[in-house]
Amino acid sequence: MISWPVARAAAGEKLRSPPVVAIGLCFAAVGALRGGPEDGAETFGSFGRVFFTLLTLALGAGLLSDELDTGHAQLVLLRPLTRASWVGGRLAGAGLALAFAVALAWAATAAAAAARGHAFSASRLLAPGWTNSGAVVLLGVSWLFVQVTLPLVMKRPEWAGPLVAVGSYLGPQEPLPPAPGVQPGLGPVLYDLTWTFTPWLAAVLLFNRRELARRRT
Amino acid sequence: MSASAPTPNTTSNTTSTVLEVRGLRKVYRAPGGAQIVAVDDLSFSVRRGEIVALLGPNGAGKTTAMQLALRLLDPDAGEARLFGGDPELLDARRRVGYAPDAPLFPRQLTGLQILRLHGQLLGFTRSESVARAERFAGEMGFSDPARRPAGAYSRGQAQRLGLALALLGDPELVLLDEPTAGLDPAGVASMRALLVSLRARGAAVLLNSHLLSEVERVCDRVLFIKQGRVLREHLVRAGGRRAEVRLANPDQLRARLAQVLPDGTMEGDRFRIPVASEDVVPALVRRLVEAGGEILEVRLAGAELEQLYLQIVEGRA
Repeated sequence: MISWPVARAAAGEKLRSPPVVAIGLCFAAVGALRGGPEDGAETFGSFGRVFFTLLTLALGAGLLSDELDTGHAQLVLLRPLTRASWVGGRLAGAGLALAFAVALAWAATAAAAAARGHAFSASRLLAPGWTNSGAVVLLGVSWLFVQVTLPLVMKRPEWAGPLVAVGSYLGPQEPLPPAPGVQPGLGPVLYDLTWTFTPWLAAVLLFNRRELARRRT
Repeated sequence: MSASAPTPNTTSNTTSTVLEVRGLRKVYRAPGGAQIVAVDDLSFSVRRGEIVALLGPNGAGKTTAMQLALRLLDPDAGEARLFGGDPELLDARRRVGYAPDAPLFPRQLTGLQILRLHGQLLGFTRSESVARAERFAGEMGFSDPARRPAGAYSRGQAQRLGLALALLGDPELVLLDEPTAGLDPAGVASMRALLVSLRARGAAVLLNSHLLSEVERVCDRVLFIKQGRVLREHLVRAGGRRAEVRLANPDQLRARLAQVLPDGTMEGDRFRIPVASEDVVPALVRRLVEAGGEILEVRLAGAELEQLYLQIVEGRA
């Protein structure tokens, strides 16, 4: 489902994009300025959250449509790879770029915390929140798998449309209720990744696929 | 000998056929709802080791025909077969190269990075991709620009990158859409040499160009297209050039020339014969004079294709 050469190229392209670089630096700067005793949760404080959201938007903007507009998508799709692996590769590339920016911001936060004399324990960050967010991510991936494979396995291509329609109703319609159950630490980060990044992924996937389909027929 | 046939050869399905399209039709819907028929009942084939050109006015459907042949567009009717199979099969895609007209690339990536990406997509290892990227950038004459982001490329540099991408996997079939557009004269000459070398190694080329002189020099076959239909197929003799000699005494020479220069044809007062290059024209003139010919005018029939084009496509006498 994922073409890694495409993913690496997409990540490289996005990490060289001036808007992404600017927002990513702001995101890291917020972590550095606020790094303190909260084990890095400051990275995703109020300002950090804004820059994280802007970053996801900047990474998503034109992720597929730029390639379609320039015609480079045609050249790539002429290679021996499927459309799904191209789309998956572009999305994974944006994910890699986002992961790099998050890692940079965490490093900046940790460095700032250490400079101010606060202990920064990565182990405490990794424990809480994993189960909730991991289960949600797993469910999302499983649903995507079912959505793609079921019509193929059952040889019922007409199921694809209804499955996509059903999929749009899955996931939290109201993002606040799950929040109280999430532990501090890495939990909020994964919460953000799950509920900011995943809807963004889903939106890009659905809208750009529709655009792709329109342009190719 | 050069020949014109009123209908294209659409039935060829030998093992040497690398591309065959039959009855392709594509209709675009304009914003106002109007329908634009880009390609209509289009049929032709391309065989291994030949260079075929699509000639026609702007909007004739040449680019659409190429994209339909590769299934980069879905046809409304008809089918295309690459190497005897579905063009979307991954194996077929390993064996084909395509250079679009005026290509654009990701602005942030360098030419070498784009070439490496495509090398890896073709299945080459990372080190092979790096080596191929360097090699093809060099062969296309843009080694230095290839190290800069593609967003800063001129049209000619983007064209060279597009050509390098098309040739990166040593394809058996190459489709080139206006490959000389934006190239300087040296680039055009390189393109000509490239086409000849592709043919020499057995690759097939489908070419869309407006440079009639270049088409006539390198192509084996020309398909005249208008309003999405093949109007006529024209076979070009290897070498692509013909000498045209206007004679004062054609009737007296007709029988004699049929013996001494059997490749030639007499039409009215003009004797036409294929020539490998302009270097052989003096020898040809000597033989005509020795045969008793009274020569009024000699010219290389580089304009023949132009005349045919005007006659077939534009409907001029």
